[in-house]
Amino acid sequence: MIEEPFATGNSAVHNIDPRFRVIAAVVYSFAVALCYGFVPLITAFAVSAVSLLMCRVSLKKVLKQLALVNGFILLFWIVLPLTYPGGATYPLGPVTIHQAGIAFAAKITLKSNAILMALIAFIATMTLATLGHTLGRLKVPEKLVFLLMITYRYVFVIAQEYQKIIKSIKIRGFRPKTTLHTYKTFAYVVGMLLIRASERADRVYNAMRCRGFKGTYYSLTDFQADAGSWIFLIIVFGATTAVVALEIFLRF
Amino acid sequence: MNQKEPIIKMRGVCFGYSDTAPILKDLDFDFYKGDKIGIIAPNGSGKTTLFHLIMGLIKPSCGDIEIFQAPMKTEADFADIRHRIGLLFQDADDQLFCPTVLEDVAFGPLNMGKSRKDAIDISRRTLAFLGLTDFENRITFKLSGGEKKLVSLATILSMEPEVLLLDEPLMGLDIKTRSVITRALMEMNSSYIIISHNINFLESTTHSTLTMREGSLIADDQVHVHVHDHAHVHGDVPHHH
Amino acid sequence: MHISEGILSGPVLLSGAALAAAGTAIGLKKLDYDRIARTGILSAAFFVASLIHVPVGPTSVHLILNGIVGILLGWCAFPAILIALLLQGLFFQFGGITTLGVNTLIMALPAVICYYLFAPFISGKKTVAVAAAFACGFLCVLFSALIMAAALIFSEENFLEISAIVIVSHLPIMMIEGVITAFCILFLKKVQPALLSQSGQYKNGY
Ligand SMILES: Nc1ncnc2c1ncn2[C@@H]1O[C@H](COP(=O)(O)OP(=O)(O)OP(=O)(O)O)[C@@H](O)[C@H]1O
Ligand SMILES: [Mg+2]
Repeated sequence: MIEEPFATGNSAVHNIDPRFRVIAAVVYSFAVALCYGFVPLITAFAVSAVSLLMCRVSLKKVLKQLALVNGFILLFWIVLPLTYPGGATYPLGPVTIHQAGIAFAAKITLKSNAILMALIAFIATMTLATLGHTLGRLKVPEKLVFLLMITYRYVFVIAQEYQKIIKSIKIRGFRPKTTLHTYKTFAYVVGMLLIRASERADRVYNAMRCRGFKGTYYSLTDFQADAGSWIFLIIVFGATTAVVALEIFLRF
Repeated sequence: MNQKEPIIKMRGVCFGYSDTAPILKDLDFDFYKGDKIGIIAPNGSGKTTLFHLIMGLIKPSCGDIEIFQAPMKTEADFADIRHRIGLLFQDADDQLFCPTVLEDVAFGPLNMGKSRKDAIDISRRTLAFLGLTDFENRITFKLSGGEKKLVSLATILSMEPEVLLLDEPLMGLDIKTRSVITRALMEMNSSYIIISHNINFLESTTHSTLTMREGSLIADDQVHVHVHDHAHVHGDVPHHH
Repeated sequence: MHISEGILSGPVLLSGAALAAAGTAIGLKKLDYDRIARTGILSAAFFVASLIHVPVGPTSVHLILNGIVGILLGWCAFPAILIALLLQGLFFQFGGITTLGVNTLIMALPAVICYYLFAPFISGKKTVAVAAAFACGFLCVLFSALIMAAALIFSEENFLEISAIVIVSHLPIMMIEGVITAFCILFLKKVQPALLSQSGQYKNGY
């Protein structure tokens, strides 16, 4: 039930130093998030789309994910044209459609998808283990990195336990419905998961103590930035500058 | 070290998870350097509990524990000796908490103060010894149950402990993986205690077996032709008295 | 519950990130190394539990559970939720680079508030504990929805209607979370009360 569909691959992007990808993704995403003009947003959308294509990941999976995530955006398409004043208006039965609302919803859609595609291209192309090591190298607090590693490691174990519990209630005829009984059952499933997680935590902590754990988590991974990584970083920073420049010049 | 002195010595040890249900009662135990002991006893008789007492993970309600001739009274006492005893947990998922294999195997050596290079070297050697050469970058949760068990063993062996405590090392393993573990134990020539329900395995890897009755360790004569609870000059060869 | 990328304004994103960073720093400070494994594994459990979809009439909603997170983890809810959101963002490509701070704040701040409001009552009598647990689950989602609405309105005043929809659409979820939290706390009190005391740590040790 939990996968990292884009993490493995052998494209040019997959081979770039993960530290550079994380830095590029953060800088680029924040720059795009601050843009409001159509031209810079369309440019960003194009840059992200090209980056994503270069990862050579399954486009079908990407589109499916993007469709899911755009659900929240749909709300803006329904509400903003009716409520966001400005521009031409078109009467539609009892309500009026505002052009500015449509434009704003379109901008949000472009921006949101541009940032999402950059995330998939730059960061979803590494496993969370690699991301953890990378964050460690980028001076994120050690405890937080350790927490990320442990959570990532045990999510899979607990997901398996969850599936066992669900199977055991299903074979006893449980069918979820909108009833108090259903909610109670799910509450017990959650409670059971928490108890098992807590017991496992005790055992894991013991195993760590037995191996001399004194509070330090050592990362063994070293990253090497090759020429390709530097070129990548320069291209992304260039694109970021271009987007920001378009935003600034066209706004004033 | 004085060969005559036990490296693990327990005297009158009692323990219960609650006051009403004692698990271990007045338990005496001596373990000498070079001993290879098997424990075979029913489920729930307190075998795992015994290992946890030796490691200082739980605290006895009465009695004394001495390890490497030092009395064990506090968490700090145990913290000093834990790296010299390697405990293999019953569930490998509890033992392997790092995302990748090499990190996990190197965790112990790094905690012991080894340099990164030394830790990586010894981890690679240990993995190779167990036939896991290509595993170092594998993601731990994607290993099979048997592979997890072998990697768990590697995380213990990489600390080069003087004593191994193995809690059901064969559980859920196929014949091939079992033979890897059996061979590793026979080649290593170290001291260990093995909890197992597999009589053949104990016969080929240990010199004597104990069982548990009413919360105490007693000699078991099911497995071996005879029992000795002390180190033995012929320790490495099966023999009659 | 979280806000997608591309919707919030720069000042809101940055203030959210700053507040979340402060909360996380406090949480990490309170997180002793002997509790890291525990917090991480509980965080993993909450992540898995949040994938559970419970039916509401013809549709279904997924659980949020930040009320229980708060009760069990206190300030450590901040780092735990931050990590859970990071995992979610990457496993399901929800995104969340620029919104990570705001979304952490939306989920974790109510968890900490509810921890201070209700944790003392949870260890009390059964009836009191059930009432407190219901209120905890209910209010935690309400607070989250309010912060979410505030983030939207501060970004763009024309998001007023959308904010209202966000709050109203969370009303049934508040009920469900209240009920589930109450039953779950009841279950834990019966089966493993030690988990609810902050020292839920390994017993019988040195
Ligand atoms: N954490 C715990 N809390 C309470 N009781 C426990 C705990 N762990 C074990 N017990 C109880 O203590 C007794 C001994 O358990 P232990 O795990 O030592 O048995 P074991 O001999 O290793 O059994 P098995 O062969 O099944 O592994 C059992 O009755 C068990 O129910
Ligand atoms: Mg056992």
